[in-house]
Amino acid sequence: MTDKITPRPSIKPYAVAKHISKRFYATQALNDISVTFNTGEVHALIGENGAGKSTLIKIFGGIHQPDSGHLLIDGQITEITSPRSALDAGVIVIPQEMQVVQTQTVAENVLLGHVPTKSVLGFLRGIDKQSMRHRTRELLRRFYLDINPDTLVGKLSFAERQIIMIARALNHEARFLILDEPTAALETREVERLFEVIEQLKSMNVAVAFISHRLDEVKAISDICTIFRDGKKIEHKFGTVPSISEMTRLMTGRDLEEVPQGGIRLIGQPLFNFDHPFPEHANNHHVTISKGEILGLAGLLGGGMTEFLRSIFGAGPSAKKITLKGTKLILTSPADAIKNGIGLVPGERGQGLVMGLTVRENILLPNLDSFVHRGWLDKKAIDAFVDGLIEAIDIRPREPNKTVRELSGGNQQKVIFARWLAGNIRLMLLDEPTHGVDVGAKSHIHRIMNEFAAKGGGIVFASSELTEVLSVSDNVLAMRTGEIVGNLSRNEVYNEKVLRDALEG
Amino acid sequence: MQSVEQGSKASSLLEEETPSWLSNKKELLWGQMPFFALIVLCLVASLMSDRFLSPININNILVQGAVMTVIAVGMTFVIIGGGFDLSVGSTAAMSGIVAAWVMLESNIVFGLIAGVGVGALIGFVNGLIITKLDVNPFIATLGTMVLVRGLTFVVTDGQPVMGEEGLPQLFLDFALNRFLGIPYLVWLPLIIVIIFTWLLHHTAYGIRVFATGGNTEAAFLSGINVSRIRTSTYVWCGTLAGLGGVMLASRLQSGQPTAGGFYELTAIAAVVLGGASLYGGEGKLYKSVIGVFIMIVLANALNLANVPSHWQQVAVGVVIVVAAAADRWRHR
Repeated sequence: MTDKITPRPSIKPYAVAKHISKRFYATQALNDISVTFNTGEVHALIGENGAGKSTLIKIFGGIHQPDSGHLLIDGQITEITSPRSALDAGVIVIPQEMQVVQTQTVAENVLLGHVPTKSVLGFLRGIDKQSMRHRTRELLRRFYLDINPDTLVGKLSFAERQIIMIARALNHEARFLILDEPTAALETREVERLFEVIEQLKSMNVAVAFISHRLDEVKAISDICTIFRDGKKIEHKFGTVPSISEMTRLMTGRDLEEVPQGGIRLIGQPLFNFDHPFPEHANNHHVTISKGEILGLAGLLGGGMTEFLRSIFGAGPSAKKITLKGTKLILTSPADAIKNGIGLVPGERGQGLVMGLTVRENILLPNLDSFVHRGWLDKKAIDAFVDGLIEAIDIRPREPNKTVRELSGGNQQKVIFARWLAGNIRLMLLDEPTHGVDVGAKSHIHRIMNEFAAKGGGIVFASSELTEVLSVSDNVLAMRTGEIVGNLSRNEVYNEKVLRDALEG
Repeated sequence: MQSVEQGSKASSLLEEETPSWLSNKKELLWGQMPFFALIVLCLVASLMSDRFLSPININNILVQGAVMTVIAVGMTFVIIGGGFDLSVGSTAAMSGIVAAWVMLESNIVFGLIAGVGVGALIGFVNGLIITKLDVNPFIATLGTMVLVRGLTFVVTDGQPVMGEEGLPQLFLDFALNRFLGIPYLVWLPLIIVIIFTWLLHHTAYGIRVFATGGNTEAAFLSGINVSRIRTSTYVWCGTLAGLGGVMLASRLQSGQPTAGGFYELTAIAAVVLGGASLYGGEGKLYKSVIGVFIMIVLANALNLANVPSHWQQVAVGVVIVVAAAADRWRHR
């Protein structure tokens, strides 16, 4: 550290949001928000899902336009009307789902849009491959990444791709870099490397916005922290970052102790057991779920939980043997699984719902057969059935004829739950069921889960939000790249540290 | 503390309500667009030419629309199921040929069964290529379109199939005679439309077709056998193309290897004009029928106005592009 003098970052406002408000239909996503992002500073934005962070960054990224208020970029009032004009203003958002062109090389990705050229035969401009490689290597070295510029991006790890995106942003002369949950899919040592990259960005006088659910990381990396709740800015402590428990309290409006600690349920007879659905782990791992049990499945984003659940559901690549209450079954399709009382709420709502169909039809899909009467659909019975479910789990508005597309995220999720709540479903597989829904809907979904389990159903609950898994589950399996690497039970040591240690081996 | 909680409750309540009138009004207006377009088209045509509303011309329009309606019904199933079928014109020709040939060899009933059956078989093959071999529907049916058309020439040597003394009179009467003043040829599509409206819009099967086309993954995860549903839509489409081909043979008094040329394009255009989404999962059967008659009436009106046939093609092309662009705009 001593032989290299890091230039003292000069701190001055670069991107400023002034009195920004934004409504989506009846939802006030942002309510008179003012935030300043300084160069050479890491500014954390935290809050629960739906609190308004993502709307704010989408306004900076040119995806949404504010209803009122304005943005200042480098002191000038600037209208950012498209991702292109965001780029022109030096604002770059690095989203969670990264947009790298997998079939291109590292160099082509890093220099995308800024490919160096040279003259060919005196009158044509051609790509200058040599200087491309050179420039790429130079950019990546700054971020401690030493890879061959000719490697295909598809072959790199998630963390490496992330750095490639950051390098690309720098090549675009980004002055304000927004990292949207950059650590959700990273392991600890990768997070450490990312933090070094962020420090490097700071020293280059880039303004960095850092969005994360992991409060310990927020505490570790950020200089300033802004907390959002229900579209409003709750706290903005200049030059300080509040303690983790303080952050939690401000985000949720509750004290940490009030976070629900699971329902009181009686865990009964084994309902269902199976070998690990991946052939390579099948002999080592045997999973049992009992009546009334909520079994957590915790891991990082992309940790193999989705594939695990899909395999149990018969939607994996090969047929699975399972034992249901002592009866051996082979499931070859979701239809088989449903027939045997298993339902799946997939990780992306887009995979569970037909957006152009109505609420009624979406709820009916797996239940259709029970309403066919001599070839006709029994409309009266259907209406009673659907209305009952809509009422029971509080889907709003109470209009079964609305297309699902018109519902809010939380209500869409409830529609997927509703379809499994009637009929003979005894095991629900939930893949990140609360991802991207607002706080109210989240606790509602937890309640639905508790009620389902209390009636003797079993639940497998997969999530990368470790605190949430721990708070709602009776037992937790830690999963890394599809392998079960740990097993926590409420009867034993049961906290986030143990879980995180298990996940990281 | 209390006020904060109330605030959060109020805002989460707010979020639940999406104003329905806004989207509904837009839907209502756009949803009936094809119908208004047809009415306007008929009005303009009747003002331009007093021959338009003459019984002979109306009869013409209905008869021309009859075969295309039957084919468009099948096409609607395929498109709502998220697919595409270019082979219907060739299938119609093949079915007409087979029906005529079997009719000459044995009797009318076997002829009809064979003709429609060949259509169903071609549809089934399309379905298998698309679902089992996982070939893009556009390419798969482009292949069968060319293949089947080739076969029609191979089996007929390029000659019409009509025997020495022509096809059985009873079969030809179907295209010539009327019931209650309306040709039999027009009654049949009416029955077909009623049956298939029931199948598509009032049965569990119909909902599964919409779900499969709207979001194959979601349909699969809801326990729907999506391969079977998709295949079934091609079987319906082939069957109805076969029926259309048999009707055409009755009109043409022979099985013709060149019959049904460009029918696939007219049928697809009609379904899209009727508002079905080429992305699948959206559409109404009766609107496809309206789409068919927009195409037929447009051609008829341009004929009456003595527009040269090549300019007619240009006009039809413009209408299709405008309708498709309007559809995309609606989905913004």
